[in-house]
Amino acid sequence: MAAGTKPRRRRAGLSTHRYSHRSSFSWGRHRTLLAFLVVLGFVVSGASGVVAYFLPAVATAIRVTGQSTLGKGSNSPKLNGVTAPPPPGQPFTVLLLGSDNDTKFVAGAVLTQTMILVRVDPATHHAVMLSIPRDLWVPIASGGSAKIDAAYELGGAKDAVQTVESDFNVPVNYWAWIGLGGLVDLVNQLGGVDAIAQMPVLDVQYPYDLTGKNPYANQRIAILPGPQRLDGVNALTYVRSRHGALLEDIARNQKQQELLVDIKDAAKHMSIADIPRIASALGDEVRTNMSLTQVASIAGLARDFSNGAVKEIVMLPPDYSSGTEQSGTSTEQVLLPNWSAINAVVQQNFPS
Amino acid sequence: MSARQLLAALATVALMAVFGLVVYSVLGTLQTKTTTTADPTQEQALVALPGTVVLVQNGSIYSLHGLAFTKLATPSGNWYQVAPGPNGDLLAVDKGNGYSDLYLLSPSGQVLRRLLQESSPYYFQNHFVFYPRMSANGQSVFYAYNWIDPSADYNVDFEIQSVPMANPGASPTQWSIPNNYTGGDVSPIPTANGGLLYTSFDVSSSNDSYPYSQLTYVSSPEGNPVYLTTPAQNCSEPALNPAGNEVAMVCVNNRLQRDTLEVASWNGTSLGTPTILSQGPMAASPCWSPTGNSLLFMNVPSRGDPFQLYWIPRAASAKPGAPQQVTQNLSLNALSTPVWES
Repeated sequence: MAAGTKPRRRRAGLSTHRYSHRSSFSWGRHRTLLAFLVVLGFVVSGASGVVAYFLPAVATAIRVTGQSTLGKGSNSPKLNGVTAPPPPGQPFTVLLLGSDNDTKFVAGAVLTQTMILVRVDPATHHAVMLSIPRDLWVPIASGGSAKIDAAYELGGAKDAVQTVESDFNVPVNYWAWIGLGGLVDLVNQLGGVDAIAQMPVLDVQYPYDLTGKNPYANQRIAILPGPQRLDGVNALTYVRSRHGALLEDIARNQKQQELLVDIKDAAKHMSIADIPRIASALGDEVRTNMSLTQVASIAGLARDFSNGAVKEIVMLPPDYSSGTEQSGTSTEQVLLPNWSAINAVVQQNFPS
Repeated sequence: MSARQLLAALATVALMAVFGLVVYSVLGTLQTKTTTTADPTQEQALVALPGTVVLVQNGSIYSLHGLAFTKLATPSGNWYQVAPGPNGDLLAVDKGNGYSDLYLLSPSGQVLRRLLQESSPYYFQNHFVFYPRMSANGQSVFYAYNWIDPSADYNVDFEIQSVPMANPGASPTQWSIPNNYTGGDVSPIPTANGGLLYTSFDVSSSNDSYPYSQLTYVSSPEGNPVYLTTPAQNCSEPALNPAGNEVAMVCVNNRLQRDTLEVASWNGTSLGTPTILSQGPMAASPCWSPTGNSLLFMNVPSRGDPFQLYWIPRAASAKPGAPQQVTQNLSLNALSTPVWES
């Protein structure tokens, strides 16, 4: 159409038919409005599809974090008992907690057999993992001293974080807790993990609590050594069994750190579209103070880390010594911390 | 509003609703396909290997001849490991809940005999047997057996035993003495001179207290162990070539969760300097060809993928070939060393 043709016609109409002019003008506005509404309708419809898709993940995130799903955190120095997240690009620290939460225990009041402090430096793409022995006898946030695994039982994640922050003098920005079933579901949702079992794991008194009806029953398990693909149950069995290992909890800590590396590698194949499926599967078996966007951000960051850039530290004597302490009316076998040795490790690997 | 306009409006609204559903569906298609395991009989190998290769996937046993897989007609079970048996038959482990049994199968998968029954109604009389291997003369079967310390039932380690093939119910011969609370000894390879190569596990007494494995040799039952690799090498899963002078093995970096496939000469008492054939990342279960010229092993295309079969031509030569992927879309049991027969 030649430029200007149509306006000249409209001007002609305007000079002879006033009503026609108003009708034409109105129809133009109407068409613009209609087009806008149609586009808006498609946008709303598409957005509804996105919302419906991610709804399970959002609902889970709200339930497990107890905070705004997309929130960026507070600017206050403390948020829900933990140190506020640092600015993007700065190193941050996560406390990973894991519990034996089978039906022998009261939900929500469980020990944390696994406590791994992780420092991530996004700028250098390096990470450090420090496993804290569950039997370490330390001052805890709720008062007095106890094995460190009791901090979560007595005061939840807030106390666990504050105990670690106070005893180890490390600011903790995030925490994440996972139960037995959560680990199984996570690995299964990843389609399994490739792992190299560091030794044969044999146990004739492994708890039959995940699939059996009696949580006090035992079962016989065997995980063979070497490279293999582990499903969720076998991955949990591998990192949980300690009876047949000379170093018991130390071996368990080593295996747990290796499994985290394996999970990181398996998660490289995941995309943001997998989040609803994984979130739905994990259900109540996961708790964290991280928002969904922070989880996605950290997961994306982990993709870029080579395994050689992840330093694994397991506390060993002389970081602690064996001893006994009075707990109520009973005497407990505990690990007594050698704070000068521990502080040296922490200061070197978790600088402020 | 005319009927035509009404129809147009309704159609537009319907299109909007469809668009929302399409967005939802498209997001669903972006999900990672976590399970890529195919039925081997529906797949073709990428390389036609000479002879027949027997493999395990998801509790079933398959043979690969040329490019095609055939499922063996085994009874239902959780078939876990296979090994060469006498006269072309197969040794196979069926893993149950808390125990495993050892069978002799025909090449097509029919059960010929149950060699070892380790299931029992009495809890502590259940045992695991794994890693079956026939002796060079075909008279005995070796295996790793989980022993339970009667005075400390947390002390459960694998030890290497053997029984006569003709009378597997006879009292077993103990070949290795495992280190307590280390998982013990696995992967027996009986040698032609009557000795035994195997993998022993121990825990480092140095600062890091890490477990490690060593290739070990004993010339007689419960003989003095000769360690063929160092704790730092952390090697396991030996495979002896048919001529008995080359050993393939995997050597692991536990912390990096990756390993290498290596081969070294073997003079009956010590290993030569190893050559790396594959940088892994998760090389496992090497197996020599019947001629001893090439190697099969399990590996993953990349970390997080299921295990596939790989082939290295001229593995024992001065210029070994590059590893070639033989299978795809499968999820092979990396703990089961392939059986390669001519």
